[in-house]
Amino acid sequence: MRYAIPLVLSALFSLLNVSTSADSRFERTYTPQHPAHLTLSNVNGSIRVIAWDKKTIVAHVNAASPDSVEDRVMGDEITITTKLNLRPRRVHFEVSVPPETSITIKNIMGEIELQGIAGHVSVTSIGSDVHLMKMSSPSVDVLVTSGDIFFDGELREGGSYTLQSMRGDLDVTLPSATPFNLNARALSENINLGSFVSNLTGSSRGPKGVSGTHLKGGSRLSLTAYTGRILLHKK
Amino acid sequence: MFCNQCQELLSEYIDGALELGEQVNLERHLADCEPCRAVRDDLLQIVHFSHQLPLQSPSTPLWPRIQSGVEEFKPSFWSWPLRWFARLGRLNFNLSVPQIIAGTAALTIVVSIGVIVSRRDSVPVALSTGTATSVATSDVTPLSRADVQQLEKQISRLSETVELQKDSWDPALRTAYERNLLYIDQSLVECRHQLKDNPADDVSQELMLAAYREKVRLLEGFEKFSY
Repeated sequence: MRYAIPLVLSALFSLLNVSTSADSRFERTYTPQHPAHLTLSNVNGSIRVIAWDKKTIVAHVNAASPDSVEDRVMGDEITITTKLNLRPRRVHFEVSVPPETSITIKNIMGEIELQGIAGHVSVTSIGSDVHLMKMSSPSVDVLVTSGDIFFDGELREGGSYTLQSMRGDLDVTLPSATPFNLNARALSENINLGSFVSNLTGSSRGPKGVSGTHLKGGSRLSLTAYTGRILLHKK
Repeated sequence: MFCNQCQELLSEYIDGALELGEQVNLERHLADCEPCRAVRDDLLQIVHFSHQLPLQSPSTPLWPRIQSGVEEFKPSFWSWPLRWFARLGRLNFNLSVPQIIAGTAALTIVVSIGVIVSRRDSVPVALSTGTATSVATSDVTPLSRADVQQLEKQISRLSETVELQKDSWDPALRTAYERNLLYIDQSLVECRHQLKDNPADDVSQELMLAAYREKVRLLEGFEKFSY
């Protein structure tokens, strides 16, 4: 009898924990008919989107309460949103998508990672490091107020690639044979084009700005940093 | 202690002007708060770099001239030009060639800046002045002074709404807002300084425009927490 009450209490706590963790996981599977456009909107927490070789989109969202996440599907437009709250808890997204899915991400704080995406990409955040790996998108638009942006991937002919951070580095890795038109601006005057500089023709715009054409040009690469550095690497 | 209280006291803390009790409270908060530590580090960096700037002292003969100028100053409208002409007549123009060249250059710069400033007041500012058409030199459209005023008005309206509500936010959210607003404002100040030094600097103009837009985006992003 001495141990009965603690045992009952611990059993109750365990049950409570199980039900809480089950409730806090938002999981959905979507089956779009065509390449989908997925919008993820978060306030505080990480977002990770990885391309896989299946036709479905699977989203796992860890949230404090199941009511804090909602989704909406209109044809091939899929939107997953955390509800706005004056005291937002941390919410983590982990989503697997077919490579050709177009992705729009809106966040306030938290790491953002995209891998293997071949659709259009738009990322806007206030304070986030953004990692774009193994990319082959026709357009990429990343705007963060503070945080580093890493891009590793290919640029498509005629594509548009815009990266901007006011307080962070832009670190871009491209295959050496990538043709592009570059417009790089850094208020810090810290622009390092690595060995791309030897094949860059056109006009330089002074220490704060470099523009030019790499090989025959084609895709537009626009890089804007303020206090951070712009770094270009060859793969 | 909340983050906003901590950040208000940081300058005094760095200057060593806080009382012991306040200092202890602030350090206790800093020990647990990474965003405030980052703001402190930023301020320390600014102080550090400003200490590295060379100290500019005026030349020794300047002081008697300033003193005599102050003593002779009278607020009468006609006294100053009359005195100026009288002194002009007494002056001995014994200038060397480099002095004449330097004087002419300074006058040219002053006149040029005056002309540019007056033109900026009346003519839309072309922010996109890239010359190489085949190169993506600028994705910024020309911006007139009226557009800048419109942006500033929009920023002011959004700021009012956000500032009224931010005390009710979660501290992490409030810190993120204040830090990032500070970053944008620092960039805007830097752009203005650079444009003051070189008004024709098209890259600084583009960066300033992008910073204004970023500020609007930040405020719009946080405005939604106001409802």
